[in-house]
Amino acid sequence: MSPVPTHLDDAARAHGWVEHLRGGGTTPWSAWAAWSDAGSGAGSRTPTAPLPGAQQLELLRRINVAAGSSAHPRGDQGRERTRLADRVLAAPAAGRGKADLPLVGLAAPGFGPRPVDPADLSAHELLRVASVLLADDLVALGADPVRTSWPRPWRRRVRLVGDPVTVGALRVDLLSRGRPEGGPRPFVVAVGAPLDELLARTWTQRCFETGTKPWSEWLRFWRERDQLPARADLLASVQRWHPRRPLVRVVTDLDRLPRQVGVRHLPPVRVPGADQAELARRVAAVVGLRVPAADRPELMRTLQRRIPDSGVAPIGVPARELAWVASSAERMTRGLSRAGYPVVGDLADLAPSTAPGRGRPDDRQVLDLAIRMVVDPRWRGADSDEGQVER
Amino acid sequence: MSRRVLLHVGCPKTGTSYLQDVLFRNQALLREHDILYPADRFDAHFLAALDLMTLPWGGLETQAVGAWDRLSEQVRDWHGTSIISHEIFARATPTQVERALASLGDAEVHVVLSVRDLVRQVPAEWQENVKHRSHITYASFLETIRDPGRESKIGSWFWAVQEIPDILGRWGASLPADRVHLVTVPPSGSDRGELWRRFSRTFGLDGLPLDLTAERENPSLGVPETSLLRTINQRVTSILAPPDYRPLVRELLAHQTLSRGVASARLGLAPDDHAWARELSRSWVAVLAQRGYDVAGSLDDLLGPDLGAFADPDTATADELLPPALDAISALLVEAARLRAVEERLHEELREAHAERDRAQLTTSYRIRRKVVTSLEESPAGRGTLDAYRRLKHRR
Repeated sequence: MSPVPTHLDDAARAHGWVEHLRGGGTTPWSAWAAWSDAGSGAGSRTPTAPLPGAQQLELLRRINVAAGSSAHPRGDQGRERTRLADRVLAAPAAGRGKADLPLVGLAAPGFGPRPVDPADLSAHELLRVASVLLADDLVALGADPVRTSWPRPWRRRVRLVGDPVTVGALRVDLLSRGRPEGGPRPFVVAVGAPLDELLARTWTQRCFETGTKPWSEWLRFWRERDQLPARADLLASVQRWHPRRPLVRVVTDLDRLPRQVGVRHLPPVRVPGADQAELARRVAAVVGLRVPAADRPELMRTLQRRIPDSGVAPIGVPARELAWVASSAERMTRGLSRAGYPVVGDLADLAPSTAPGRGRPDDRQVLDLAIRMVVDPRWRGADSDEGQVER
Repeated sequence: MSRRVLLHVGCPKTGTSYLQDVLFRNQALLREHDILYPADRFDAHFLAALDLMTLPWGGLETQAVGAWDRLSEQVRDWHGTSIISHEIFARATPTQVERALASLGDAEVHVVLSVRDLVRQVPAEWQENVKHRSHITYASFLETIRDPGRESKIGSWFWAVQEIPDILGRWGASLPADRVHLVTVPPSGSDRGELWRRFSRTFGLDGLPLDLTAERENPSLGVPETSLLRTINQRVTSILAPPDYRPLVRELLAHQTLSRGVASARLGLAPDDHAWARELSRSWVAVLAQRGYDVAGSLDDLLGPDLGAFADPDTATADELLPPALDAISALLVEAARLRAVEERLHEELREAHAERDRAQLTTSYRIRRKVVTSLEESPAGRGTLDAYRRLKHRR
């Protein structure tokens, strides 16, 4: 790198760092600021242009770090890198949190937010920018087409309710096999699971549809109301369709579910990890500002199919909520028993059974995943949903 | 005619709702005078601001898709003066300001900021937080906004939309000072029409026969009313979703019921906070005077009123909360009765629709066909037969 004249003022020094990052640099701001002969300060971004916030700059630096260590180098690296860098620098930090933060060490006007060292920013702050990038990628990608085939006239008519992750995967599979849901006088098949898992999967699926509040707030919302969300409440889900009793099946034994819907095997059901769900929740909030409301669920389900695996466990109900979950499960079980609906399996299986080691959202894991997806665009390519892991 | 854009970017609690309502209701008359206020709904510019700044807002953002681009396109296509107004534009980052100004084309852009003294803005912003689901106490709110780190959401938002020199630093950085206009809110007790006259002069509306009736205002609450609302929030915020909170709590309770307590003590600042706000305001006034912006009113208006009696909302007693609490219960019961009537009417309409359907299905041939279909649906072979029949009849 060539030396920079020491008379360069703060703005030029900061813009020099911006250029450094645009060129793929990974030097932290503190090191850059202390290094008076830092390098090519001049570039296409003039010092009169607004300086991006610390959030954007630090995210770009971390993307550069990840890209440098990536095992999947991109094709036309230079042009792609600059294009991505400019997108990162122009992306807003989504939400009502802090606005773009100034860099520490520059002459401050005495107004505005307190300057920060970008390296000190929390993962949460960087995720606010990363979620905008991923939302824009998703919108540019568009929704995956839904595979369908001619409806088989002899198919068993079913209406699926219950565990939203399983039901979602099954619904898509049935549609592709010519066995679309619905039809005259269908069997209402309620797919059950231990209630803690059912709640976790309901929240997870919401993240991959319209987005929702954070997991702990969402759980608190239902606990304080002492109600269950619509899709986790099997009794209410069944009753919504007003079926005759013989046309209902409450399935708690998933091995016997295929027969209830008229197929031999279930499709692989991929339960997203806690980090994947949390990232989707943040992306969904931005997608809501980019596309009409009706288009968001399909786009988000596309993300659900394509989001890279990270090995993080699915979200779990924290121990302090288990007493409420257990009493809710008992109430739901009593209601289903009284209604007299046929059960495939055992209603006792609806009791919570939180296994140790269940996941919870960790912003650093979520940020790692987000950066991986920004750096490695394979999730946006064709056949990207191959090789997904069944849990 | 030269193209001009008057971009009113804030601040909250400075009479913006009234201004926007007047502009919205008088769109046709304004057009006749070559002034465009492009809005198909009263909150159109709010949605444009959400879109420009990528701000989720309790689900409302889903109505904001593409709103800024649509708004700026209308402005670019207009031959005369255009007005854009919403107070949350004050929060835009430098990058967003650059994008916003670039999208307005080659028009002569003027930035307008209406401002009010901190002594009145601080309590007003706390009330606004309480009306938006917060249950932070007044003392905590003050502590939060006085934290120089501005670490909390509340603190960062407050200063982003209230720190006048910073807002104008962001919005006015690329404009000459004579295209940056400050409209100061007159001191308490001033003639009610004075603020409008300042707006009117700045926006070039003098002499137009506008309908100035106040239809939509953002009324303030008294001390016990705000305290009650905060207490209610403590109970309901976690269990009432924003789409329910907005009509039931903010509109019905806060705006339509509790804001009627005009005899209640108004919220102010305690002596220490008052001195801090005054001192900060003085430093702002000095900076603004140096920058040489056009000012409608006087920069001295920003110093605010002298210290008055302070009623602490955090220590409101049960006796003080009881009257507004009874008002709130009455209002909710009346609303519940109204909704019951709506529900009953809908049930009646549904019963009539069912009865009509049943009458139509009462024929013998319908009953026979129904029996055949029901029997066929019992077996796969029957279902296949039915499907084949429906395909032939193009009924699927």
